Amino acid sequence: MNPAGLIPSPDPIPVAWGWFHVLLLFTFVVHLLVMNTMLGSGIIALLSHLRGRSETRSDSEDISRTLPYAIAFAVNTGVAPLLFLQVLYGHLFYASSILMGVYWISIVGILILAYYSAYLYDFKYETLAGGRVFLIGLSVLIFLFIAFLFSNNLTLMLEPSRWEIYFERPEGTFLNLMEPTLLPRYLHFVVASVAVGGLFLAWMGHFKKAGDSRRNGLAQTERGLKWFSNATLIQLLVGFWFLLSLPDEVMTRFMGERLPDTLLFMAALTGVVLSLFFGFNSRLVPATLSLFGTVVLMALVRDLVRQAYLDPFFHVSSLRVVPQYSPLAVFLGCLVLGLFVVVWVLRLAAKAGKEGGR
Amino acid sequence: MNYPIWEIWTIGGPFFIAVISILHVFVAHFAVGGGLFLVLTEIKARREQSPEMLAFTRRHAKFFMLLTMVFGNVTGVGIWFIIALVHPAATSILIHTFVFGWAIEWVFFVGEIVCLFVYFYTFEKMSSRDHLTVGWLYFVFAWLSLLVINGIVGFMLTPGTWAKSGDFWEGFLNPSFFPSLGFRTFLSLMIAGLFGFLTATRVSAPPVRDVLVRYTARWLYWPILALPVFAYWYLSVIPEGPGRMILGASPEMAPFVRAFLSLMPVLFVGGILMAVRLPFGLRQPLAWVLLFCGLAYMGSFEWIREGARRPFIIQGLMFSTGVLPSQEGEIQQQGMLATARWVREREPGPKNVEVQGKALFNLQCLPCHTVNGLYKDIIPLTKDWTYRGMVSQLTGQGRIKPYMPPFMGTEKEKEVLASFIAHTLHQRPKHEEKPFVFEEQPFDMPSFDPAPDACVLLAWNDLGMHCVSDNDRWFSILPPANTLEAVLIRRGETPEPVVEDVILTYRVESGFASPWKEVDFWEWAQKVYGRRLPEGTGLAGKGLEGEMVYDPKGKVYVAEKVPVVPYRDVNGRKMYNPYPLFTIEAKDRETGKLLARTEVVAPVSTEMGCRNCHGGPWRWNGISGISDETATNILRVHDRNSKTDLLKRAEKGEPLLCQGCHADPALNAQGRGDVLNLSAAMHGWHAVYMSGMEADACALCHPASLGGNTRCGRDIHTRLGISCVTCHGHMEDHSISLNKGENSKPQARSILAALEPQGSVPKEEIRARTPWVNEPDCLSCHEGFEKPVKESSGFNQWTEKGEDLYRMRFDETASLRCIACHGATHALYPAINPVSRDRDTIQPLQYGKMPYPIGSNETCTICHSEPMEDEAHHANMARAFRNVVQAEHQGPHDPGSRGIR
Repeated sequence: MNPAGLIPSPDPIPVAWGWFHVLLLFTFVVHLLVMNTMLGSGIIALLSHLRGRSETRSDSEDISRTLPYAIAFAVNTGVAPLLFLQVLYGHLFYASSILMGVYWISIVGILILAYYSAYLYDFKYETLAGGRVFLIGLSVLIFLFIAFLFSNNLTLMLEPSRWEIYFERPEGTFLNLMEPTLLPRYLHFVVASVAVGGLFLAWMGHFKKAGDSRRNGLAQTERGLKWFSNATLIQLLVGFWFLLSLPDEVMTRFMGERLPDTLLFMAALTGVVLSLFFGFNSRLVPATLSLFGTVVLMALVRDLVRQAYLDPFFHVSSLRVVPQYSPLAVFLGCLVLGLFVVVWVLRLAAKAGKEGGR
Repeated sequence: MNYPIWEIWTIGGPFFIAVISILHVFVAHFAVGGGLFLVLTEIKARREQSPEMLAFTRRHAKFFMLLTMVFGNVTGVGIWFIIALVHPAATSILIHTFVFGWAIEWVFFVGEIVCLFVYFYTFEKMSSRDHLTVGWLYFVFAWLSLLVINGIVGFMLTPGTWAKSGDFWEGFLNPSFFPSLGFRTFLSLMIAGLFGFLTATRVSAPPVRDVLVRYTARWLYWPILALPVFAYWYLSVIPEGPGRMILGASPEMAPFVRAFLSLMPVLFVGGILMAVRLPFGLRQPLAWVLLFCGLAYMGSFEWIREGARRPFIIQGLMFSTGVLPSQEGEIQQQGMLATARWVREREPGPKNVEVQGKALFNLQCLPCHTVNGLYKDIIPLTKDWTYRGMVSQLTGQGRIKPYMPPFMGTEKEKEVLASFIAHTLHQRPKHEEKPFVFEEQPFDMPSFDPAPDACVLLAWNDLGMHCVSDNDRWFSILPPANTLEAVLIRRGETPEPVVEDVILTYRVESGFASPWKEVDFWEWAQKVYGRRLPEGTGLAGKGLEGEMVYDPKGKVYVAEKVPVVPYRDVNGRKMYNPYPLFTIEAKDRETGKLLARTEVVAPVSTEMGCRNCHGGPWRWNGISGISDETATNILRVHDRNSKTDLLKRAEKGEPLLCQGCHADPALNAQGRGDVLNLSAAMHGWHAVYMSGMEADACALCHPASLGGNTRCGRDIHTRLGISCVTCHGHMEDHSISLNKGENSKPQARSILAALEPQGSVPKEEIRARTPWVNEPDCLSCHEGFEKPVKESSGFNQWTEKGEDLYRMRFDETASLRCIACHGATHALYPAINPVSRDRDTIQPLQYGKMPYPIGSNETCTICHSEPMEDEAHHANMARAFRNVVQAEHQGPHDPGSRGIR
């Protein structure tokens, strides 16, 4: 069966595809950073509990307080790229989602479970003592499973030639397990999360104030940067595994066959090298900036990988445009206004935090 | 069509959507109204300088945050997940149309989250003015996000002018935007109150608790007052179809509408009760009860909103199956299997029923139904239908009952899907019905001695076939009631009908004299017909033998409504015979001398083919009659479609006569003025489900099937291959003419809207008719009593009055009825009877020694003493009978098989 015949026909879009492309990439990077923070800090908190060393106890405690925020914003910032993904790639994404429908819809329920578990971990941190490792453990395991499902869906979406499996398994129980890039891709995201989580921990330490806290803060920053650097080192290895597991025609694009793709990849690798350098040298701000740069560049590489996979089947430029730009304009207006208000509210909160009450 | 179908047979996609969505909107509306609740309560707390109230506000804010942030937010995304899995085509349209609407809503979500976090976590730390500002900002963001999603959801029911323009703003600010926004805004305030009760009733200090509970109660009973206003406004803007669905057209919606209407006052009263000082122990449980009432209220509202839209997922634009109405023509032509993407076997064929039937089922049925599942389970819904019934259901689907889409596909695919449901899902055995084999039941031909003043006794049944519904315990359409007529002609120069001083008697042949042992008509006559009848006596007081009465208007002797049935019992041996013979004798009244004797068939059949679609066996010895199973299936369907309670009544021992409601000239029944006459109702309704057929449609119900146990078409027309359709029209055309006759009634209008004629007469030209009165006429084809031209048709040329009917008409001498010499309709001489060959032509053979009409081939001397030259009775009669060859050499028409049931 010709796999192209299975690809549903896409609906027209209301503005030129470039707008959606930029919005998708931008909001995806934001989501990636927040999601990495959530997953990574959760993993660090869990591992800290399991290692049981006294000096890392404050790490878990601090993370327990920030984890609910991280989850809230991870979910919220996930909505935007999910929206734009559906606009550009919905016809592919829905098909792959249906193939793994049972797993995909389970995310709703288990995410709520993980989220409430994280709140319990936060609010009952003191009183639960020994029990809290189970709470954070549950949350982290669920997040890891959800991440695995996302990796499944987003890879399956790119492989229409595998969709024939529907005729054997129409109940939505198919996972793309035979995909060679699945495991390295998944691990690449998980390890990246640990790196970003470590960086987050480092910044938490950085913002601890004078006195006793200051010393603990410095130590926490050290620990955070160590998580960051070690994870980034492992990332390098996992990344190469990921690269090598790609189909040849995709991989070679980044290894010299296509100039822009290769240059971009090289730039991203440079970012990794810089991150490692600044990380191991405990230079917090440069390490953070390198990390941001690397994430942005790697997200662009990921987008090029997607395009390469879909090359025989579909390109976003083929989407028909039925133009109406006024809703976009209103959205951008609301975005600017909304951000203004949000920044203003956060400033109020910061002020209240300093002044400590009415 | 475009996408693969997620084959979740048991849970069912729509049910999944309903659970996730209703839980989400309940919490989401709380997220809006609760925002205002927090701000106003904080203001109240600060104004009254109550630290306890402030503490309550903070605790409520924590509860609020935990519920709306986690459960509310995630289930919101969950809706995106589930709708894309279950209705990807529609979801794609919504996403691509309203992407920036959702993007705008997302900005408001960011604002909500930040404001709520700040509001809660800086509760004691921020200045009161700033804190309240943050609270207000939260509420504004929340309400704005409601505003946006309200537009998108409303679009699905009232797309308004977007259908033509594709304009985002026209789709967003659609006809139901404002009534829906108003309704949801006040609903969210009410829900804020309901959740407020949960925390307010838990406040520990009694005086503060009382104040807070009473305060919260105001959030319940004030907003409720606004709800009916907006609900009514909402109802007034939705399109006619969905409006009718809500107001009763959909039987499934009724309980939700009832719940919605009854819970409003319940919640209002609940609010008042909470405001009153109830004992502590009652307030907390009542808070939970009210919360669940609120959930049920919201759930029924959303269910009504979604359900009213059936069969569309986007009103008027896309069916729930993901198919566009504009694609219907293409799919009927090429087939759904050829058009849908995710199908492997595209050519329908008998070997592929399992695979293709399942594919068609998944594409067309699964979007709304489950299999052995929780909701709209297809198994109980289709279990009473035979395969034939399933084909009929698919033919008529969506054409008169508005809440399903039409079946999309070729005729072959329809059969494949019907077979899948009947044979695969229900495991109904496939069997070919073999032609019925009649038992030979011989009779003696009466003799005739043409002495100079002898009498010729002609007799006939007024109808060519009288049908009987033989399960009165459940309902009755037609009682045992054959009417025999006879005329006694004294031979001579001018033959004269004898109308006085003679006694004409009738007597049924052996084995038919105890019909009460075979049918339950007498048991139920009191209930159904309002008359207590002695066993064996018919509705006109006549039994199986007796005296005929002279009718001066019809100029014949009549035995009215003789209650004969086709069930013969000869010394305990049961035989089926739909053509029982009656011996008619004419005797001199004074002397008792026998003047003439003849025999005549009283055709009576219980072969009502309801079971062909409605299922069930034959009632009587596996041969004929309506069984209990068939009868109850029929009543159940009638109750469902027409909102009656016939089944319950019959179970209580109160069966009805159909003509009690449905007028019928055949029984002289007036019926009810607001209901169609029986013929218009039966044919009209069933024509929707039996379109595109030839005379096989007729034979599915009427005893005309060529392989059946009656084969009522016994005359030359049938043998020439002329079917019911030539005179009566195809099923659709037939029904159109009947329903035009009832055009003042809305039921007729909806039937007419659903039917298109198959024959050559355009719909506007089809003439209205009253059943039993305006009928096809022989002379429409046999113009001038001549041979008809090949393309002749009796359709649409109706008799004007009852007296103009063939069976009532007189010859040109105005003294002899046509039927006397030519025989009854559908059994005109020469007829061949399936039980015994000559049963239907006894008098022609007795008097003329030929099976042709009396006097054929210039045998005027049957009645006249001399041969005649004038064509006194009617034109073109003085010649050789035309259809001799066919009559002699053509045997009974090959019955063939009746096909798969």
